[in-house]
Amino acid sequence: MNRTLRVARRVLQQLLRDRRLLGLSIVAPLAIVYLLKLFFDTMPPGFNVARYAVPVAAFLVHFLAFLLCAIVLVQERTGGTLERQFINGFRRHEIIGGYLLGYLGLATLQAVAALAEVVLLFGLDYGARTLLALFAVVWALAIASVMLGIFVSTFARRESQVFPFIPLIILPSVFLSGLLFPFIPLIILPSVFLSGLLIDSDRLPAWAELLGRLLPLRYANTVIQELIRPGGALGNVWGSLAALGAYSLVLLLLASRTLPETE
Amino acid sequence: MATTHNVTMSATPRDAGRRGAGEARAQEPAIEVNGLTKRYGAFEALRGVDLAVPRGALFGLVGPNGAGKSTLIKALVGALRPSGGGVRVLGLDPLRERAAVRRQLGYMPQSPALYEDLSARDNVAFFGGAHGVPDLRRRVEEVLAFTDLAARAGDGVATFSGGMKRRVSLAAALIHRPPVLFLDEPTAAVDPALRARFWDLFRSLAASGVTLFISTHLMDEALLCDRIAILRRGRIIAADTPRGLLERGRTRLTVRRGGVDEARTIGGRPEDLAAALHPYGLAREIGAVAVEAESLETVILGLIGEE
Ligand SMILES: Nc1ncnc2c1ncn2[C@@H]1O[C@H](COP(=O)(O)OP(=O)(O)O)[C@@H](O)[C@H]1O
Ligand SMILES: [Mg+2]
Repeated sequence: MNRTLRVARRVLQQLLRDRRLLGLSIVAPLAIVYLLKLFFDTMPPGFNVARYAVPVAAFLVHFLAFLLCAIVLVQERTGGTLERQFINGFRRHEIIGGYLLGYLGLATLQAVAALAEVVLLFGLDYGARTLLALFAVVWALAIASVMLGIFVSTFARRESQVFPFIPLIILPSVFLSGLLFPFIPLIILPSVFLSGLLIDSDRLPAWAELLGRLLPLRYANTVIQELIRPGGALGNVWGSLAALGAYSLVLLLLASRTLPETE
Repeated sequence: MATTHNVTMSATPRDAGRRGAGEARAQEPAIEVNGLTKRYGAFEALRGVDLAVPRGALFGLVGPNGAGKSTLIKALVGALRPSGGGVRVLGLDPLRERAAVRRQLGYMPQSPALYEDLSARDNVAFFGGAHGVPDLRRRVEEVLAFTDLAARAGDGVATFSGGMKRRVSLAAALIHRPPVLFLDEPTAAVDPALRARFWDLFRSLAASGVTLFISTHLMDEALLCDRIAILRRGRIIAADTPRGLLERGRTRLTVRRGGVDEARTIGGRPEDLAAALHPYGLAREIGAVAVEAESLETVILGLIGEE
């Protein structure tokens, strides 16, 4: 078997063996989407639920892929298994590729589950074509998330020594590691506010709008909003789609630079 | 044990081929270190290390914590770029000839370096998979049996004791039948029974032609090696056989002549003892002769202390 596939299989084995992690990564998004439904039900009639439903599902997949990938990779760095892989002949591109494949497998499951729930719960009647396109965007976002996770894992190890406390903000007490503390708020909170998920990008001040452009969720959200707009077409937002792809590419380069094979 | 080591570690076909290739190669040391330095900022972790380890030797690298043992081993396995000097393993440069070197060496890091969520079997199979070990499944069971893990092979490593994790780690280092093994403090924090078992395994590997490079901060383990180097603050301060080191120690000689004990301190070499006894002959009046040599631990600690 190819070494990239071996890494992917091992990453999946790890996720599957850790029931807590697996349960959380599938059940947590579902629960959050359900809570969201309860919340939106309290809104006055005429409130545009659709504007939030799918982007929230996309955000959850993004957040979890990023976080799980970063946690597992930080464990690899500190536990010595990353070094051991290199010494046993795994190459850098094989490890990155394996991580990407493994987490895309998980992200696919999450995306199917979360999108299905959103569509059913909120009674959204998107056509098969739109659904497929939405799925593809979530997938592209997941790729960027994995790259972001690999990239961030480099810094997390050092920062953990500076911030030995664990005030998790988004999913309290869910992710016990604490190794990633400063990066969760640093990447995820801006994502929520600056990506257009909650606030339309064109209502943000210029600096915030620019900052939002540094985050992959912004591009995904733009594409999703267009796809779910009546009469929307992918052709109108190809720029954002391309930006999402470019984002992953740049992060891939950065991520591979942060995985040195020798000290 | 006798039944397991012959299936596990007989010289590999690759090894046999290389030996046949030429006397010159066979004469070449398995491991060579020349003027190796490693700096971390202003701090020098290794300050000009020179070493040669013959093929098939069980070589012990002894030194206190922080001496630079792990740093030296990482340079040898190609995990660390030296600041100066060079290393060769089986005549190959671990950084430039990475792929060739990695097939030939096994590495057991100081920390277990295992996937806690995976079983012992999956861990060993994963690292073996990187080498494209032929008939991997069978080979995995073989090394797990060799390290006495067969009964727990399917259990998650997270449920294992420290000693068991070390055995899994050793199995992972052996999976591809490497002719050269680097073990970084394999017996630290291991109970005495398992420690003895580990040294039996190391001995049986050495007997089958494997070169072992083992670091330890336990001075008494040095006695079990063919050759020892003592590392202190990034420098080799002595390299010798255990016997050679013992001979550097002192011996307390007590001779009872005419009912009176005459005690004195002489050198540790057998020649020193003979010379010290010459004046006595074997006269009847010699009632008793007692010889008390320093332990290897004392000798090594003395060497480390006097630098
Ligand atoms: N990455 C590093 N950065 C800075 N100093 C290091 C690093 N790795 C090791 N050292 C220092 O180098 C010295 C030797 O370390 P090490 O080789 O781990 O010793 P040993 O294995 O003999 O206990 C120690 O003083 C250690 O603090
Ligand atoms: Mg060490």
